[in-house]
Amino acid sequence: MTSPITSSIRLLLRDWRGGELGVLFSALLLAVSVVVAISGFVNRLQLNLERESASFLASDLVVSSASLVPLTWIDEADSLGLARAETVTFSSMVISDSDEMFLASVKAVGGAYPLRGALSIDTGSLQPSSDMPEPGRVFLAPRLVEQLSVSIGDDVYVGDATLTVAGTLLSEPDSTSGFFGYGPRLVMNSVDLNATGVIQPGSRVTYRMLVAGDSDQLDRFHDWVKPQLVQGQRVLTVDESQPGIGATLDRARGFLLLAGSLGVVLAAAAILVAARRFGERHTDQVAVMKSLGATKHTIQQLYAFSLAWLGLIAIIVGSGIGWLAQSAMFNALADQLPGEITATGWSPYITGGVTALVCIGFFAWPPLARLGAVSPLRVIRREETIADATRASDLVLGAISLGLLMLWYSGDLKLTGALLGSVALTVGLGFGAAQLLLKGSRQIGSSAGSIWRLALAGMQRRGNASAFQVVIFGIAIMLLLVLTAVRTSLLDQWRLQIPEGTPNHFVLNLASSEEQTLLDFFAQRDIEVGELYPAARGRVMAVNDKPLPNWDEFEEGARQREANFTSTDTLPEGNKLVSGSWWEPGTEDALISLEDGFADDIGAKVGDRLSLRIAADEFVVEVASIREVNWESMQPNFFVIFPDSLLQRFPSTLFTSFYLDPSEKPRVGELLALMPTLTIIELDVAIQEIKTIIDQVSQAIELVLLVILVAGALVLIAGVSASVDERLHESAILRALGASRSTLLGAVAIEFAVMGALAGVLAILGSEAAGWALQTQMLDLKYQVQWLLWPTGIALGGGIIGVLGTFACRKVVAVPPLQVLREL
Amino acid sequence: MIKTSQLSKRVGTASSELEILRGIDLEIKQGETAAIVGASGSGKSTLLGLLAGLDSPTAGDIYLDDINIVDLDEDQRATLRSEKVGFVFQNFQLLPALTALENVMLPLELAGTQGAREKSEGFLARVGLGERLHHYPRTLSGGEQQRVAIARAFASAPVILFADEPTGNLDTVTGANVVRLLFDLNIEEGTTLVLVTHDTDLADRCQRKFSMSAGRLEEAL
Repeated sequence: MTSPITSSIRLLLRDWRGGELGVLFSALLLAVSVVVAISGFVNRLQLNLERESASFLASDLVVSSASLVPLTWIDEADSLGLARAETVTFSSMVISDSDEMFLASVKAVGGAYPLRGALSIDTGSLQPSSDMPEPGRVFLAPRLVEQLSVSIGDDVYVGDATLTVAGTLLSEPDSTSGFFGYGPRLVMNSVDLNATGVIQPGSRVTYRMLVAGDSDQLDRFHDWVKPQLVQGQRVLTVDESQPGIGATLDRARGFLLLAGSLGVVLAAAAILVAARRFGERHTDQVAVMKSLGATKHTIQQLYAFSLAWLGLIAIIVGSGIGWLAQSAMFNALADQLPGEITATGWSPYITGGVTALVCIGFFAWPPLARLGAVSPLRVIRREETIADATRASDLVLGAISLGLLMLWYSGDLKLTGALLGSVALTVGLGFGAAQLLLKGSRQIGSSAGSIWRLALAGMQRRGNASAFQVVIFGIAIMLLLVLTAVRTSLLDQWRLQIPEGTPNHFVLNLASSEEQTLLDFFAQRDIEVGELYPAARGRVMAVNDKPLPNWDEFEEGARQREANFTSTDTLPEGNKLVSGSWWEPGTEDALISLEDGFADDIGAKVGDRLSLRIAADEFVVEVASIREVNWESMQPNFFVIFPDSLLQRFPSTLFTSFYLDPSEKPRVGELLALMPTLTIIELDVAIQEIKTIIDQVSQAIELVLLVILVAGALVLIAGVSASVDERLHESAILRALGASRSTLLGAVAIEFAVMGALAGVLAILGSEAAGWALQTQMLDLKYQVQWLLWPTGIALGGGIIGVLGTFACRKVVAVPPLQVLREL
Repeated sequence: MIKTSQLSKRVGTASSELEILRGIDLEIKQGETAAIVGASGSGKSTLLGLLAGLDSPTAGDIYLDDINIVDLDEDQRATLRSEKVGFVFQNFQLLPALTALENVMLPLELAGTQGAREKSEGFLARVGLGERLHHYPRTLSGGEQQRVAIARAFASAPVILFADEPTGNLDTVTGANVVRLLFDLNIEEGTTLVLVTHDTDLADRCQRKFSMSAGRLEEAL
């Protein structure tokens, strides 16, 4: 006996030459390339995005403390091989040679600051610099330069130290971490800190230790340091520091993994269809081989080895194509991505390889394994039945393997469950409904014209095969619909998160007497200003007469909490009541509404009595409602709200927000010149950075969607070509009997269009189910029934499948009937 | 050489059971040529399939070279076919993806025979297709395809050759040429030849002639 390896290579080469392998190989190649491309792309994108968002902290992780960071923490970070830097921030008056003074938010930086992101400094030369200031030098925010009337090379005084202005600070990576320093920024080297003599016992200072490095080591450091935190200390990661960015990234990750998982399902569907067809086409060949003496074992061994070779080639070539595709996608985004492009590791190729093995083992092999059971009697009796190409047990095993593969790939049980559930729904409904409708269609067909009769009879004759095709089309369309719908709501939600004109400046400390001046200032400059809220600093002392411990606000557990209290008689936009009810406008009752997280912190619920203190006054209120606040909205939000009448009794300042176009930036200086006691928090840079990230992720999502669309189209093509052989034979006979080419093509077009429309119905049912599960359970988005999808889905399904089917079957009428009949 | 006793085959249909072969006793000696004739549906092809071990009987025994193939399982029968049996079919049954040479080499490769290529080239030359080794079936005429099939059948040096309507798809002249070739090779190789045919001229050329009717076999003397 010739070695099975040689025989299988020979079989493979002959099949290849005979064009038998095209569809199966393309499907395998598609599986590997899609998975490698998407997981490679997601990997690299995620690394880059994490790095980009890490620039919000200027590191991967920050430990902040009101006192000096313990040396043991520094030792631990060093021993874990993490990169380290430190910042010290405080407010201080800065004075210029011309005796101009201004309260600045000072940041002294040391170590390898910044560990992530970069400073951008205008030093007067052509290229902006990104180095931290040398000892004895400082960088000033443009507004500080303006207020102090200094230029590069001039001296400024911070406490006892004389420092030289070395540049204008255009942007800094961690501009948004902490709003304690309300003034414009001054960045100095931490070496000069002692010389200033500003920091004294009792000074309000924030020390930050910044670390960056390998994620495992970071996790270890995080877990090590967390239990040691005491009053006034806390640890921050990107997700914790920027809930807006964290949620955006989580959703993007969720979407990309969803897309990747869909890629796997689509590829598996394509392989299943292709292997079925391959098996059917090889039935006669196997019957001849068996009549010539091949045993069942020989046949199975031969096809197993052939498939293994095919898989190996697909893995190698597919990995190459996947690598090229992800590079192309990534390079298309390179301009928008910060820093150098990170390389992808081996994991995408391993994922691709495992995908290929699972697809081969559970989707390609079963129809081929059954070739061993083909009866050799088929060589003399063609009507000898062949084993069913696909059995329910294959589908169940396939679904389980696919589920495990997706779970491994996405690490998300909900995602896997939602997708598999909706695929199962489509398959179950599909087979049932398709059978029923196909039967009904015969009855309609028998009373219809000849083209219709031919089309519907054809569809019904192929009964199970037609149902299988409808289901495959349905799954492909469903997955594409799901992905498109999720993408649309994701992008919409992001756009809504920070719409054009989102306030990017906040005004604090506005005295009631100055209200009109401020409004006039904005009215004259045609700048829209947000609602004015009264604000008073207050503290929750006790809940239901039980005093809360007087600990720092960063501590866990029920503690006293200090917060800005405001008042309004209407529920602010973006707030949602979780319990209780909103008060009647004009009420004089002593009521309060709490943000849900704040209520948890102090351990209060609706109906509880809170003892509060504002300035020296203590008073008691009842919790009327608990609200959920959308902190991602970038709108003014409050932990604690009173009815208007209640807060009027206390001294308070006003709080508001406004949007300023970058070109109008000098207005901030003008406003402060007019009202020097105001505090303005500038969030324009931070908001711009969030927008940049959202834009990048949106583009990435569009690109990935495109790849999945291509994968879906290939599944449709594979499904359509599956029945070409049988049609070829039928059409040859019909043409020999005198049927015209237009009649036959018309019948094919109708048949595919009807199947496509049926698939469209299934796809919509499945996609509504999957969409609901994914959007509400996983991506945390609102779900809406896509009514418009129904007519479009059905029409598109019918149209696309009809056109694809007719195109794929054009050979059916192009080849002379004699040639077809002779070849059979 | 080939011997059957009380061979019968029944198949169940939706409504009843159909008896295709009824108690057939047959004996054909080594090197003999035998024809089985009969109307369509009389059970000729079923008998041929059973004799070649392509199917199992409902009852009775079949001896090929003194081996009762009824006792063998599917794989053992396949091995026996690869060693002792050759086939020529009405519709040629060449694999479309393989060239003429590869089609002839296939059974030799399956049996692991050394020198498969040379042997196959030799047989193709003997059937007059030495110049068309690398042609695919679709580029060959019906007669040429059947000659490739004959070369394939003889290449593995079978003890018994079964032919199912070997001229059924050919015109008279081509059919006559194919028949001549079949008988010439049969004499040269000393093979036992059993063929099923409608063609009375072809049947007349065989040493023995059996007639099949309603599942029963009778030898025409």
